[in-house]
Amino acid sequence: MNIIGREKLVLCAIFLAIFITLPFFVGGGWTSLIIEMFIMAIAATAANLMTGYGGMVSFGVAGFYGAGAYITALLITKAGFPFGVALVAGPVGASIIALPIGWFCVRRTAIYFSMLSLAFAQLMYVIVYTWYSFAGGDDGIVGIPIPAFLNSALSYYYFTLAIMVICLIAMWIIVNSPFGKTIQALRENQERANFIGINIRRYQHAIFIISSFFLAVAGSLYCGFNQNVFADYMFWTKTFDIIIVYLLGGIYTFIGPTIGAIIYILANKIIIRYTEYWPIILGAMIVFITLFMPNGMAGFIWSRISTTKKQ
Amino acid sequence: MFELVFGQIISGLSVGMVFFLIAVGLSMVFGTLRVLNVAHASFYMLGAYLCYTITHFLGPSSGMFWIALILAPIGVAIFGGILELLVLRPIYKRELLYQLILTFGFILIIGDIVKLTWGVQFYQVNIPWPLLGTVSFLGTRLSYYHIFMIAMGPIILILIWGLLHKTRLGRVIRAVTYNRDMSSALGVNVSLVYTIVFMFASWLAGLGGTLMAPMASVFLGMDTTVTIECFIIIVIGGFGSTGGAFLGAIVFGLANSLGILVLPKQAIAFGFIAMAAVLVVRPWGLLGKPE
Repeated sequence: MNIIGREKLVLCAIFLAIFITLPFFVGGGWTSLIIEMFIMAIAATAANLMTGYGGMVSFGVAGFYGAGAYITALLITKAGFPFGVALVAGPVGASIIALPIGWFCVRRTAIYFSMLSLAFAQLMYVIVYTWYSFAGGDDGIVGIPIPAFLNSALSYYYFTLAIMVICLIAMWIIVNSPFGKTIQALRENQERANFIGINIRRYQHAIFIISSFFLAVAGSLYCGFNQNVFADYMFWTKTFDIIIVYLLGGIYTFIGPTIGAIIYILANKIIIRYTEYWPIILGAMIVFITLFMPNGMAGFIWSRISTTKKQ
Repeated sequence: MFELVFGQIISGLSVGMVFFLIAVGLSMVFGTLRVLNVAHASFYMLGAYLCYTITHFLGPSSGMFWIALILAPIGVAIFGGILELLVLRPIYKRELLYQLILTFGFILIIGDIVKLTWGVQFYQVNIPWPLLGTVSFLGTRLSYYHIFMIAMGPIILILIWGLLHKTRLGRVIRAVTYNRDMSSALGVNVSLVYTIVFMFASWLAGLGGTLMAPMASVFLGMDTTVTIECFIIIVIGGFGSTGGAFLGAIVFGLANSLGILVLPKQAIAFGFIAMAAVLVVRPWGLLGKPE
């Protein structure tokens, strides 16, 4: 079986070409907007490794997103690390934090897993929110310097695009590896997986850490993009933002969360230009999607394409 | 020192009792409907706003609060009932994630409805007529209203217990909670029971909001932290357990108010530490049953 179909490969190439040439056609404001899309795409795809592939709904994803951002920010401002090193250290540090937290979380199932991951993420939030001398408290950390060659929207655009492509390919390889297939087997039927000798907890722990790593990549990138970090990045409402994005796109397709990120950020920026009542529109969108489009936007489009093909 | 600690205990208990009212509804909805309603605290906020509007509509006398105490929770219950009938009903058979995200959508929608109706100002509700003032007890000055709030907790606890264990409706609710398919096969109108439980939970949350209104200001976003705090309470006490919600609320209220004396800034962390500890050691909660 081919790991990726020819059609999809062509589609990906077209999208990549569009994104490479796009900054030449649109203004600077749009460039920043698309950077946000890229970062959100990494975060949502990473979170969906757990939800869509592992069947584990974590309410703590923002904790690791924020951890990446904070570790990068702190290493640059407090320890004077160069940006490149801090950018790698963020995800690595977040994975180290995810190691003990994940160990506890995967020992619980279903809603208890969700609540425990939420508790740990909120704990991280409280630490940065209240520890003024170290993490800036509710003032956050502002004015993080980044290297001159990345200091324009255009250069950061290509930098983020490159990292997003690398991350998406890496995650694609992971979910299609034997390891990834095992994770999906756990989602489908844990009992059977257990019968054939799979150590459920160990696999879930591994995907928890991998997911946290990529979430932190997104957080660290956002730190460099915004050059400020705030405790809000770890707050539970941020987790729900990410969850909305992957649900919007669809959790049972790999590309779903990326499509969700594009739609979500685009809708947000367009709608808040006209009205301050963005939440009610987002709320209505959520209600509509959960009631009528259970497989998200990607699943919806995909099923339309396949039905047209059959006709 | 003693006065300080005692005063904190009283204030922790009174806030804890309001949290109990909200958390017990959340817990009942989860137990019976199998839906974790993230938006439950939005009903609490709605109750507080309705309380403000009713007391101001009726006139300047602070005694009007008692009318609001009757009407506001009923208003919230009706709102909850409509929401259940229209939107929640189609998703009972769906996965947990969709129910969560749908109710998260409610938070956003209710938040904006409140913003459209009441704007972004802060509102105050006066402490109602006979409960103004303080009484001296063991050298500490206690507010009558605090005592009233603390009394409301056990009253509601007994009311819920009586409803569940001494009435026919309560037996039906417990039967549906235990096994909805079997109850349905025996001729119980499960959908109706769901609506009743959801409305009752909304009523409780509205009552909590009404009671809280004279204690703190009524403002947009007063619900965001309450959602998480109620999660903590029902996880500590045990999902689906009424007594557990009561115990969890007391533990949480005291941990918060006494924590402020020890570590003023980090006090909010205590609740989460308690919740994480309970989940690791006794995941079904203090009074819950193992899965």
